Amino acid sequence: MNLYEFQGKQLYQTMGIPIPKGQLIWQKEDAKRLEKACALKAQVLTGGRGKAGGIKLWDGKSDIMALVNHIMDLNIHGEAVNLLLAEEAIHIKDEYYVAITYKGSDAQPILVLSPEGGVDIEAVAEHTPEKICTLPIDPVTGIKAYQLKYAAEFLGYDKEEELSQLILNLYRVYKTYDATLAEINPLAVTEKGLLALDAKVVLDDHAEFRQEALFNQLRDEAGKITGTRESGHKDTITYVELDGNVGLISDGAGTGMLTLDLIKDAGAQAANFCELGGITNAQVMYDALKKVMANPNVKSVLIVLIGGFNRMDEMADGIIRYQEEYGFHVPLSIRMCGTLEEVGKEKMQAVNIPTYDQLPEAVIHAVKNIQEVTP
Amino acid sequence: MTILINKDTKVLVQGITGRSGRLQTENMLAYGTQVVAGVTPGKGGTSVQGVPVYNYVKEAVASHDINAAISFVPPPFAKDACFEIIDHKIPLLVLTTEGIPENDVLEIIQYGRLKGTRVLGPGTAGLISPGEAKIGAHPGRMYTKGEVGIVSKSGALSYEVGKNLTEAGIGQTTVVGVGGGPIWGFTQKDAVELFQQDDETKIIVLLGEIGGSMEDEAAAYIKAHVTKPVIAMIVGRAAPEGKSLGHAGAIIEGSKGTAESKAALLTAAGAKMATTPQEIIALIKELRM
Repeated sequence: MNLYEFQGKQLYQTMGIPIPKGQLIWQKEDAKRLEKACALKAQVLTGGRGKAGGIKLWDGKSDIMALVNHIMDLNIHGEAVNLLLAEEAIHIKDEYYVAITYKGSDAQPILVLSPEGGVDIEAVAEHTPEKICTLPIDPVTGIKAYQLKYAAEFLGYDKEEELSQLILNLYRVYKTYDATLAEINPLAVTEKGLLALDAKVVLDDHAEFRQEALFNQLRDEAGKITGTRESGHKDTITYVELDGNVGLISDGAGTGMLTLDLIKDAGAQAANFCELGGITNAQVMYDALKKVMANPNVKSVLIVLIGGFNRMDEMADGIIRYQEEYGFHVPLSIRMCGTLEEVGKEKMQAVNIPTYDQLPEAVIHAVKNIQEVTP
Repeated sequence: MTILINKDTKVLVQGITGRSGRLQTENMLAYGTQVVAGVTPGKGGTSVQGVPVYNYVKEAVASHDINAAISFVPPPFAKDACFEIIDHKIPLLVLTTEGIPENDVLEIIQYGRLKGTRVLGPGTAGLISPGEAKIGAHPGRMYTKGEVGIVSKSGALSYEVGKNLTEAGIGQTTVVGVGGGPIWGFTQKDAVELFQQDDETKIIVLLGEIGGSMEDEAAAYIKAHVTKPVIAMIVGRAAPEGKSLGHAGAIIEGSKGTAESKAALLTAAGAKMATTPQEIIALIKELRM
């Protein structure tokens, strides 16, 4: 789950990371209460907010409503601005980048540092890689003292103790709330010390079972901003709508992507990518069919199954249940093999649904079927 | 030889009494894998398919010689269950569970490194050394013994390619699924390294997908260390940008992680690229001529 800046900052504050004083502006009129110079920041999830004009400084004198109207009328990469964070104006001496995340192929959490904060870190990585330092974190021992000493030296910050505590606190945020990213960009150096001027936090959806209260609170807040409250993730299905006409369901991401490629090679396009995920039973197949068939562009359905953990008898049950309840108004091509395939195929045969053994054959039929439906 | 497992591998099944554990134990035994013990807390003293079940790993290793484990324990309990395997010095852990919190996965893998347990997964279909043993879900009939080593991110894709190769009369030494990510205890590079060292493996097939940098790292290793022919296929050529396709890591962001960028690095490393399983077969036949 991606968090808004103010939500990330609330989490930082619970672990003692200093943040600027601020208040939320839910309604434009609320801005009239502001008295002192401040930064007005659009609360959106998309990146590139600053460049899009979503952050404005108010000098404490000029017409604040003009600024507020300007920001709240913006559409930042497709996202409306419904909430502002007004923060005290800060005199900044220097800006750093500090983040904790992980590198998947090394299976290791990492601490990422740069003395070049306040800018797009990807650009720093591309143009001046020597200005970025990545330190591996051993999750068993935690961040070590020599690494913290090195961090202070690399950033060129002379108050080592203060920086160390801040990094350790950021790691506590990362661990305590099951974050996959806890970023401070920029981390400002001020007269009074370090201050987290921005917060980008991503929480691990797989940890919801032990972070239920936090997830609910964050969803309630997000719902208040966007006007629609997202429900929790209930199934393991991945469904992504695409531009073509072949409705696709696969029981593996790899074979799903291969099938997308094969459909394209055959001169057509998939209407969607739909993969069943980690939990596969009759209900999941039935649910997947409902999702795919709800797209009016679907002219032909292709189901690609090659079960390992996934059982073909259950897949057949899901398809048959869908057929009994809704019927298929477009032609169906099914490739079925793997665990308990004999049972699955027998069930399909009993209801007169043919199955294919080879993937290319099933793809060709599915593509041909569109052409028959749309002359 | 094969890599990681062979006919002498003795396997412990953690979570053996659950639905998946039970079915996969039956399939592994039917394939000839030596499944010697199972563990499910509270079910000690019972048996599954004739395999004795214990409450604790400690009890299982006291009564049996065990050198690999497969875990079916659900996410909330997976970390502790894996720690138990690792504490008892079982050198290979096949972690099939998907949806384990990422912080837990990172701890499991690191603890395994420190204690000497290699973790395959999480979210892996497992591996098979055809004709010898399988640990995980690879359907036995789709494979036959031979000299091609296959490593795949996706389990299903490794079934797909295995099935096609087997039907074309091309056998395999070992077929490994490393999992869909976004975190891997055992990478494509690790598998390529073992295949390079393995005498029986003559050709290495690498099956990758869009997103992430794992294929790029395998390419760097191939370029520097691999003398055997490598055939690679990256799926997701037709995938749109910015959408995650089933595997958490399978997402194209800008010019990074595209099928083209990965293919370019692999080609530069000396690998031959295929775009379909049929092309993989054609390339293998060409190499054999």
